[in-house]
Amino acid sequence: MLIDALIFLPLAAALGLLLIPRAATSALKGVALAAAIATFALSLSFLRQTTGAVSQQSLPWISGSFTALYHVRVDGWSVFFVLLTTLVSVAAVWAAFTYADARRLRGYLFLLLSFETTLLGLFTAGDLLLFYVYWDLMLVPVFLLLVGYTDSPHARRAAWSYLIYNGAGGLVLLLGVVGLVVVTHSFEVLGHTYALSRPLEAWLFVAFALAFLIKTPVFPFHAWMPPTYAQAPPPVVAMVSGIQSKAGLYGFIVFALPLFSGAAHAWAPVMLTLAVASILYGALAALGQRDAKTLVAFSSLSHLGMVLLVLFAFSAIAVPASVLMITSHGVIAAALFLLLGSIEERVKTRDLTDFGGLAGRAPRLAAFMLIASMAALGLPGLSGFAGEFLIFLSAWQTQPAYTAVALVSVVLASVYALKLFQHAIHGPLKLPRGADATTLELNARELALVAPLLAVILLLGVWPAWLNDRTPAGYPTSSVTASIEARR
Amino acid sequence: MIAQLSAVDWRVVMPEAILVAAALLVMIVDLLSRRSLRGQLYLIGIVGCAASFGALLPLYGAHVTSLFGAFVTDGFSWGFDALLLLTLAGALAISAAAKADDGGSPASYAALMILCTVGGMVMAGAANLIGIFLGIEQLSLALYVLAGTGFPRRSSEEAALKYVLLGSLASGFLIYGSALLYGATGTLRLADMVAAAAAPSALFVVGLALFLVGIAFKLALSPFHVWTPDVYEGSPIAVTAFMAVAVKVATFAVLARFVYTAIGHDSVALVPLWAIAILSMVVGNVGAIRQRNLKRLLAFSSIAQAGYIVVALAGVTRGGLSVMLFYLTAYAFMNLGAFALIVLVGSGDEAYANLDAYRGLFFRRPWVAALMSLFFMSLAGIPATAGFMGKLFLLQQAVAAGPWGVAMAVALVAGTLVSFYVYFKVIWEMLGRVEGGAPAADGNGWVPWLTASVGALGTLALGILPQMWSAIIAATMRTL
Repeated sequence: MLIDALIFLPLAAALGLLLIPRAATSALKGVALAAAIATFALSLSFLRQTTGAVSQQSLPWISGSFTALYHVRVDGWSVFFVLLTTLVSVAAVWAAFTYADARRLRGYLFLLLSFETTLLGLFTAGDLLLFYVYWDLMLVPVFLLLVGYTDSPHARRAAWSYLIYNGAGGLVLLLGVVGLVVVTHSFEVLGHTYALSRPLEAWLFVAFALAFLIKTPVFPFHAWMPPTYAQAPPPVVAMVSGIQSKAGLYGFIVFALPLFSGAAHAWAPVMLTLAVASILYGALAALGQRDAKTLVAFSSLSHLGMVLLVLFAFSAIAVPASVLMITSHGVIAAALFLLLGSIEERVKTRDLTDFGGLAGRAPRLAAFMLIASMAALGLPGLSGFAGEFLIFLSAWQTQPAYTAVALVSVVLASVYALKLFQHAIHGPLKLPRGADATTLELNARELALVAPLLAVILLLGVWPAWLNDRTPAGYPTSSVTASIEARR
Repeated sequence: MIAQLSAVDWRVVMPEAILVAAALLVMIVDLLSRRSLRGQLYLIGIVGCAASFGALLPLYGAHVTSLFGAFVTDGFSWGFDALLLLTLAGALAISAAAKADDGGSPASYAALMILCTVGGMVMAGAANLIGIFLGIEQLSLALYVLAGTGFPRRSSEEAALKYVLLGSLASGFLIYGSALLYGATGTLRLADMVAAAAAPSALFVVGLALFLVGIAFKLALSPFHVWTPDVYEGSPIAVTAFMAVAVKVATFAVLARFVYTAIGHDSVALVPLWAIAILSMVVGNVGAIRQRNLKRLLAFSSIAQAGYIVVALAGVTRGGLSVMLFYLTAYAFMNLGAFALIVLVGSGDEAYANLDAYRGLFFRRPWVAALMSLFFMSLAGIPATAGFMGKLFLLQQAVAAGPWGVAMAVALVAGTLVSFYVYFKVIWEMLGRVEGGAPAADGNGWVPWLTASVGALGTLALGILPQMWSAIIAATMRTL
């Protein structure tokens, strides 16, 4: 019940918005923000559940030649995906007040809240078909937001690469899902293991993995990401990079690794290579960027590659380490993209060579950028460090060679993160023609909406055990954990 | 003879008889009234649909053979009849809204559309080659005329002519194939052909090939699809809507019954059918990419969708029949809904078939645009819509059916990816900026609104709670 309320509260609010006249902008804003905050408050209640406990509920949905249930669940892993979603959504909905023009505000908020429902549905799905439904449904709000809610023709073009790449991933996943259900006759696959023939298991694993790698994305499936992240409006990119990029990793943790553990081990060298390639390529590409949002997009590629690295290193604490890194990256990426959005709104450019020295006129903006970019760099005391440290520590135990190569990225990260911060914030004030030097400081709303994200960065930085004590070690289904351990 | 005819259980022909009566009533009322009664005539037709459905309801679960074995009333025909009646009601409503597109004679137009559906229902129940041919000819002859009712628009005349010529060619293939099948097996009854199909003679193979070519023509399966875009584009919008759905529903009923009763299992003889299904998915989706006219776009879409629907037969399993009917139902809801909106926006004006008329529709008419997006997303197979559930069921049939099934599943998925571009392009345009002057005023009207809303409800209901419908048809499909 509570889970259903959590999933559908944003959608209900979104539908409620349609009843409010388009001109009543303050009512629209009030309802949307209240719904986002209420959803966040509701998600906090799942933290009280004890470690290892699962809240779940299932109803019959489809029966016949196969069975599917309407099965929703929140456990010690997924609760952090849920919390990340609800927290970042509050910031995104609030930030949308800045970017949506009055005429398009209602549709904008409607789509952001619907997007939140699809993400929450995905992270609470206990049934593979339900998971797939939300997986594919996510495409729609993002596509519509890219196409209809910016005035940039570039964003309208970027929508196609987003749709085609992620649509292709989704369809390959659909083939995999159907291939699995032909054997199992049921979409209730969580917590079960199946004796699949080796080639079939390999095919299914590849189908699942392809979809997950595209969505994350991981090198070389990332071509859709730089244009989408650079062109999407800041609230949208905050949700896509902060939350949606975790969907693929979540899919690995909950479905692909437990279901196809044999194939996952067989394919581990490939996956580890892709992970390391992402980590290094992302960091190197970030170094060369002048566009601030593209720079952060590539750093994202690098950081999420680290999660893939630890998952396929199959070390004992792989899952807690990845959940910490995922949560940390989610808030850092959302905060950075929202701050960069605020900067772009003021200086009308994202090109780091065209503006700089904002610190003098905007000290609070500078302080916020400092925290967010240092967290991306991996400075101890901030969440990025905690996540990366735990990842490299646990990956090192089983895969020292891959980990050693990946560690190079730590050096590169400090170069690109410092470059971003220094160019934008330090030095003499430099603004392109037409930008207003008097309004560079963040306003109260912009401060308030980013502050909670920064608070989480600090919390996880100084007290990562707050999260890790709540995430049980091993994979979400204990029987499968046992089989993975036995193989090692 | 007379004794035998009266031995026919009148209950089983009641749905068809009521429709024929409705068609006659439409013409008589038109003849007797002094005023022009356009809306009322269509209303009589829709009431006739409802009455016919009322007569159909008690036949759920029946299994009766009548007319010397030519006609069967069973669970299979029940489902297809119900869907045909729904299609007819929707198409009549769209016709009523698409003003002055019935050739100035609404009575004959409505009567033809109703009689055309009777042909479709005969096809759904046809159990021998004669019954099949009679049904197909009744359906086709009425449609040839309907295609030309856009008179004096040249493209409508062209459409009618093309349809007559190529349709007759297809009928020729069909009847020649039937004759050879009869020659090879010595029987007209499909159920008696199984033995000959198990060890096919050369005559049987040629007959089967010609028969399938005829069917593929009617279904617009590639490479027999070339008539489709022109005929869809030229015909009046409401006729296109009816043609796109009703012909597919009725002809798939014939194809399925033929495959299931005359061949009976996954035979090598069916491999050409799988091959043309794959080809249709490719040709339909790729062909749709460059279309700027919505009617042409939906024509190519219907070619691809026909390819998808063939996939339901892949394993020749009982479940496959339910899947086929489920997908056809989804197809009916999303197509009729989309056509109703085209009529709504353009008040039936043919210029509104052009994609340019839809630019910025989301900001002018958000609800119309949202419904339109729903139908196109359903055609693309986005979850929570009927199209997705249909594709899921199709893929499950295909993957379980061996190598050709898997090949079709891969083609279906690849075609769907291409179709993402095709269908989202429409949504992309609707979210675009309008440059220059304001567009022509968009139309309004409660009849197309109602039709589109019913389509949207059906699309969502089948997509979210497929069990509602699939349980009904799966239970009745046990009797074929």
